[in-house]
Amino acid sequence: MYIELYCILKLKVLFDMISKNLTAASTKPIILGILKQGNSYGYLIIKKIKELSGGLMKYSDGMLYPVLHRLEKEGLIESKWSVKDDERPRKYYQITEAGKKELIAEKEQWTQVNAVLNALWEVKPTS
Amino acid sequence: MFQLEKSIKSWLSNLYQQRSFDEGAIREMELHLRDHIEDLVSEGYTEKEAFDIAVVEFGDIPAVAKEEFTNIKVKTTLRSIIYTHMFKNYFKTTVRAFMKYPLSSFINLIGLSVAIGICMLSYAFYCYVYDIDQFHKHKNKVFLTTFYVDRDGTMQEYGLTPTPIGDALMNDISQVKKRCRINKASVVVKYDDDKVFYERVKIVDEEFLEMFTFPLKWGNPSSLQKPNHVILSEETSQKYFDDQNPVGQTLKITFKNGESRNYEISGVSEKIPESSSIGFTFLINFDNNELAEPDNHLNDWGSFISATFIQLKNAEDAEAVTEQMARYIEQQNAMADNWKASAFSLQPFKTLYKKSASIKFNILGSGYFMFYSSFITFSLIGFFVIVLAASNYINIAIVSASKRLKEIGLRKVIGASRQMIIVQFMLENVFMMAVALVIGVLMGTGLFIPWLEETMGFNLGFTLYDPKLWAFLPAILLFTALISGLYPAVYVSKFQIAAIFKGSFKISRKGFLTKLFLGFQIMLACIIISVAVLFMQNSYYQSGRSWGYNKDQVVYAHIHDYSYFKKLKAVMEQNPDVLSISGSKHHLGRISASVNISLPERKYEVSMIGVDHEYLRTMGISIKEGSGFQNNVSSTHNRDGKSVLVNETMVANLGLENPIGEVFKIDENRYYISGVVHDFHLTSFSNDVKPTFLVVGNPKNYEFISLKVKPGAELKVREDLRNAWSDLFPEIPFDGGLQVETWGRYFESLTAGSNIWGTLAVIVLILAGLGLYGLVAINISGRSKEFSIRKVLGASLQHVSSIILRQYLAVFAIALLLGCLISYEVTETIFKTFYRYHMPMNYSFFIFSGSIMVLVILAIIGIQIKRVSESSAVNGLKAE
Repeated sequence: MYIELYCILKLKVLFDMISKNLTAASTKPIILGILKQGNSYGYLIIKKIKELSGGLMKYSDGMLYPVLHRLEKEGLIESKWSVKDDERPRKYYQITEAGKKELIAEKEQWTQVNAVLNALWEVKPTS
Repeated sequence: MFQLEKSIKSWLSNLYQQRSFDEGAIREMELHLRDHIEDLVSEGYTEKEAFDIAVVEFGDIPAVAKEEFTNIKVKTTLRSIIYTHMFKNYFKTTVRAFMKYPLSSFINLIGLSVAIGICMLSYAFYCYVYDIDQFHKHKNKVFLTTFYVDRDGTMQEYGLTPTPIGDALMNDISQVKKRCRINKASVVVKYDDDKVFYERVKIVDEEFLEMFTFPLKWGNPSSLQKPNHVILSEETSQKYFDDQNPVGQTLKITFKNGESRNYEISGVSEKIPESSSIGFTFLINFDNNELAEPDNHLNDWGSFISATFIQLKNAEDAEAVTEQMARYIEQQNAMADNWKASAFSLQPFKTLYKKSASIKFNILGSGYFMFYSSFITFSLIGFFVIVLAASNYINIAIVSASKRLKEIGLRKVIGASRQMIIVQFMLENVFMMAVALVIGVLMGTGLFIPWLEETMGFNLGFTLYDPKLWAFLPAILLFTALISGLYPAVYVSKFQIAAIFKGSFKISRKGFLTKLFLGFQIMLACIIISVAVLFMQNSYYQSGRSWGYNKDQVVYAHIHDYSYFKKLKAVMEQNPDVLSISGSKHHLGRISASVNISLPERKYEVSMIGVDHEYLRTMGISIKEGSGFQNNVSSTHNRDGKSVLVNETMVANLGLENPIGEVFKIDENRYYISGVVHDFHLTSFSNDVKPTFLVVGNPKNYEFISLKVKPGAELKVREDLRNAWSDLFPEIPFDGGLQVETWGRYFESLTAGSNIWGTLAVIVLILAGLGLYGLVAINISGRSKEFSIRKVLGASLQHVSSIILRQYLAVFAIALLLGCLISYEVTETIFKTFYRYHMPMNYSFFIFSGSIMVLVILAIIGIQIKRVSESSAVNGLKAE
């Protein structure tokens, strides 16, 4: 059962998914973008990514955590544990001012890349 | 049956295996997994399915861990991980060993810190000594002209020069670029009405500030060209004007002959560096020389000025120029009968300060010699204290290694090579050194250097911002680490594992080397204490030594001419405390003249003191044979010439068997000896008693008035004299005081010497004592079982004491004996170098220093014996 499931997931990665490199490159703006909308914790963030991408962008869940930790180390996000009696403790992440600035910069870069690609693909080859 | 909790736990254990996750991250991921499973279960999966999916979607844990590692941790290699952990471990064991044996660690640390502190002190001296005059831009090209005179068989180099030589060199020798003549004059400087001081001015050519590049704070160096301008040093400017810019103000300068001129201040120098051998308070143009010394003529080879410096176009030309200077010999010798030069020479300014002690009448004075010898002394002491601290370290390290045998054995078992053990112990040592270095630097800058500066009364100009210092400190660190750490590390690394674990390994407590080091420490402590004791004895001896005359009941003042003497005498004669009043041209402790006398077959340089008939009585100089001054010469001796009194040294040096009636000549004047006086000291005990004669001088030339007063009335009479002075001559500052003060700082420097040695002795005694204490403590605690058994079997306290003492007795005896002998030699050398008249040397000092040492040793061992005697034999036997 375990092996079966694993194979299916792997195949999915091979044929349907957005490529791994692109996913990795876009993780940072996506996380920052999600956190800009409000504080969140790891499981919820990854759920949100899955939802937004319609399942196209999906990488192993565990990989999110190193990224979060790196962003925190870079000072783009902050974290704090929230412990309440009636629910599980959660480590909430929150975007910092620096993170917001970084998000704007990222946005610009992605728009530029997008513009370049658009320009390339819309121009018809000259005969 | 699937157990969710168990599965999660086993999944978590995979996470724990990865070093890159911390607790928080693992908890975070665990919660993630639980959230996910919960969601999946609510979607209808079984617990087992939900777990499997969540685990698969979480992904490959090592891959995540790898990602986390590259993100969170600094990029490291396998090697660096191993090393980090190894050194971390070493650091831990170091700190633990330190805390476990705080006493011996403390002893080591303090010893090394003090040693480094003293090294800082000698470094400060080194900088001071080797920076002297090196800041002048043209130091390589500037030379002092000197000449050699044959003085009764020995060639004496003189730093003063015939006045015309500067101009002659400029005119005759093409390699000479500039010349600067320097003369000194005592003057009275007056600003406004309230600031009147005696000052020394330097009368210089305008090239002075070009050769000696003292930067100016205000004004222009070229203003020195004008004869009515004056340049001040910063210190002087502050004395007269505080922090105001005085440029443009006028000072009135009165020369010795009473002539006054107004000078406009045209510049103020920056603070003259501490490391300058040549300095100034006032600079005025050389044209003023005729005002200061009317008899000194620019073209007269028989006139002399304080110094002539020349600057060459190339430093290499010095030799050629020196050769060419031979042409002036004839010219000078024709004019100056008593200064017949054998050769002229040039002394490079760059190194002049080192030679200044051997060049007579040299403008720099001989202060450098003192600093240089202080530097050598402190370097030696610094070195010895380092060696002492290092032997402490070695001894304690070796002995305390016996308590770390298991650790060393274990390290070796798990694969540490001998090198690694050496590295470990060296690192421990370097760590200790680094801590000691920090404390040592703090001690040096905060304690030792200020203390020394205070005791010796000068500023070393030491700063922590010296880049050379930061090269020196690591060098000291490495040096001390090597000499103290290498031997213990190598020694410890040699231990055999099998022997350690079998328990058959024993460090020999009778180690020859340990005893050698211990003996060395004791000896060193003994030497330094003995030197301190000798210095104190000498200080005491010298303050009680006779000056050769009665210094205690004399008050004197420096006067300008006979009219001063007459007025002051008239007032002071009324004073009931004054016993006698005398006028003189020269004065003991202040000034004498140096003259060359001619006997039928030889020429000889002696000191001359011009006095009056009352002088002997006033100063308490006693006549040994013959009579006093003869008033009426021709009637008693039927000889022409003046009657003089000579001292014993002069009689001895001239080899006169029957001095009374002997005749000598100065130039064409005849003098005959009418009496011999007992030797007296013209200046402090650091100088020899010079061959000296006293002669009755012309009252017109009186420059001093001396008063003999009733015992105990000295201070009162000094005040009376000062008051009389300010009534009579309100314009002129009073320059005089008690005769006992004429040696200036001589006795202070004696006291300073014994204070410095005393303090060092205390430091060294404490260090050596601590070292001994640590060693004995470790030795005894290692033998607690043995002593317990002895006690159980009925050994008395005396018996135990004798066992403990016996092993050190020979070492102590040899160390003290050697210490005594060496300190005798060392002190004798020091005394001979510094003091012409030190106390007679004998071994009595050792009664004191030896008993201090014995007391300290006994006290230290006594404490340990007490511990043994009070400890319970049961506990001693139970101890592991």
